Amino acid sequence: MRLLIVEDNEELAELLAKGLKTAGYEADMLSTVEEARAVLSTTFYAAMILDLGLPDGDGLELLREIRQRDNPIPVLVLTARGGLTDRVHGLRSGADDYLVKPFALEELIARLEAQLRRPGQLLGSNLRIANLAFDTQNRQASIDDQPQVLSARETAVLELLMRSKGRVVSKKQVEDHIFGHSGEVASNAIEVYVHRLRKQLSERGARVQVHTIRGVGYLIAEEK
Amino acid sequence: MLRFKSIISRIVFLHIVAVAITSILMSLALSWLLSFATDNIHDKAMQEQAVSVGNRLGLDSDGRLQLDLPLDLLGLYSQAYGRYSYAVIDDKGTVLFSSLPDHTALFPADTRQAPVEFLHHRRGNATVFGASVKKTIGDQTVWIQTGEDLANRDVLTDDIVADFYRNVGWITLPILLVLLLADIAIFRRALRPLREASEIAEGIAPERPGVRLPTEAIPREVRPLVSAVNQGLDRLEEGFRIQRDFTADAAHELRTPLAVLRSRIDLLEDPKMGDALRHDVDGMAHIISQLLDIAELDTLALQPGEKADLQAVAAGIAEFVAPLALAQGKDIALSGPTEPVWVRGNAEMLGRAIRNLAENAINHTAPGSTVEFVVEDNGTINVLDRGPGIGEDERKLIFRRFWRRDRRKQGSTGLGLSIVQRIAELHSASITVENREPSGACFSLKFVALKS
Repeated sequence: MRLLIVEDNEELAELLAKGLKTAGYEADMLSTVEEARAVLSTTFYAAMILDLGLPDGDGLELLREIRQRDNPIPVLVLTARGGLTDRVHGLRSGADDYLVKPFALEELIARLEAQLRRPGQLLGSNLRIANLAFDTQNRQASIDDQPQVLSARETAVLELLMRSKGRVVSKKQVEDHIFGHSGEVASNAIEVYVHRLRKQLSERGARVQVHTIRGVGYLIAEEK
Repeated sequence: MLRFKSIISRIVFLHIVAVAITSILMSLALSWLLSFATDNIHDKAMQEQAVSVGNRLGLDSDGRLQLDLPLDLLGLYSQAYGRYSYAVIDDKGTVLFSSLPDHTALFPADTRQAPVEFLHHRRGNATVFGASVKKTIGDQTVWIQTGEDLANRDVLTDDIVADFYRNVGWITLPILLVLLLADIAIFRRALRPLREASEIAEGIAPERPGVRLPTEAIPREVRPLVSAVNQGLDRLEEGFRIQRDFTADAAHELRTPLAVLRSRIDLLEDPKMGDALRHDVDGMAHIISQLLDIAELDTLALQPGEKADLQAVAAGIAEFVAPLALAQGKDIALSGPTEPVWVRGNAEMLGRAIRNLAENAINHTAPGSTVEFVVEDNGTINVLDRGPGIGEDERKLIFRRFWRRDRRKQGSTGLGLSIVQRIAELHSASITVENREPSGACFSLKFVALKS
């Protein structure tokens, strides 16, 4: 699977390519908007890592052009500017995710894979934390490679948490994911499902913990 | 030297001075003109008297000059009346007739040069004003002098002068005052574009650097000042732009090498070594972020009418810092209303303030304890920890840039709370710090709540 890195700092581009290679991805490197424009019109890439400050223009310009041509390539934007307004601007221009420099390679790869696992994208569908795995294709959770039977709602909650590994999932997101926009949701319904899921996971020996951030949401992490 | 705060008061003052000087000069000029006119009338009267005296001159049968005054004229020139006098002299200067007791001429000077002459002369206590008129009778030429003692001047002409001041003189003062009021009105009108420009100037602030003063309606005399102010604003705007650009450039130039360094460390083969280096790089990245925040905040200002949902911002920050807290074995909790709490402010800046308070609280709270975010309907966000609390003596110091309780402690820049304070200033928000029982601190930021 080939990725495209558009970054004018050659050292960083090479280090990214090297890091991606250890995770099993090949990457091509370009350093200008002009080159990227030319290459993207002829070559297919699974995803693009795009730096915003390029010598011959703004990466966001390129991004807008790509989206205007209905190119659905997942784009992870790298930027030196961390402001929320910058972030909103980037996402509105068609970025799928956003990383502020400096970042951990691990984080970059995780975010990239989250994009590649989205429906219609190329990556296999196995999400994993410690000894817990979740296959998004057939919606199957397994612990120590043993398939587990969970209720539909527990499965839905787990999928959402696993897809957002390392990040908090708000209670509202869980509600929307499980119930959609239809019907009334009992105020403690989500708590009940999370509680059941937590109990199931710990009874079956998963070395993960589902944290409740009171008033905010939930987060799944490896058990300490 | 008198100094005036307002142009109007300066104009009023100068105008009053001018009115005073004008009324004095006008009175002087008018009284001079008036006395000139009365003198003229007087001279004419004297000349006429001389002519009528001359008409009474005649020759007797011996060919000698005779003066035959009628009774009314005799009364006029009588010693008892003492007001008018006459004399007749011949071409040798000999006094032929005189009403004066010593039978002398009225005017000692030679009056035999001009046919008509006006003269005055001091005699004893009195000053005599009069005329000398040449007349030829037969072969003899005489000069008839008539005069009036000014001490007994005609009452009528004096009354005119006195009346002038009483009646006419007083009219000038109100006229000048009306003029003054008219001037003030005209001036106020002329200054209106300046007042309008001032109102526009009041709205000039860092968040609206593009505002310029209008020059169209400004009087030509003041336009150089207004243009100079506008040019000054151009330079200031450029300065702001340069600093903003600098901040953006600095962010790029500093963060990209750190990204290189961080990636290099992530690719190291010795993971133990990597952990320590990663920690260092993360600390450095944190310091750079805070320095850039401070630099950016110095050029930022709140847009008028900007509002933010404090509840949503607090929830976003709680989500953002939760993984960090959990990684350190500490909890995060958010409480308060679940509906939006609208406050005057910029969501990004509010978020940075709350994030800095939260990071501080996470650093200081005891392991296993919870950092609580409490949002209130009145636009307050409280961040509570279970750390050692803040001593009375430290409460002023903690908001200073680079202040740290323990300089040896890694990962703290002493910038977090000064960022919080700067954001509070920009939002007219108040910061309070209190200690909790049995231990811990509570930082409260109270923003300006808006009715939803």
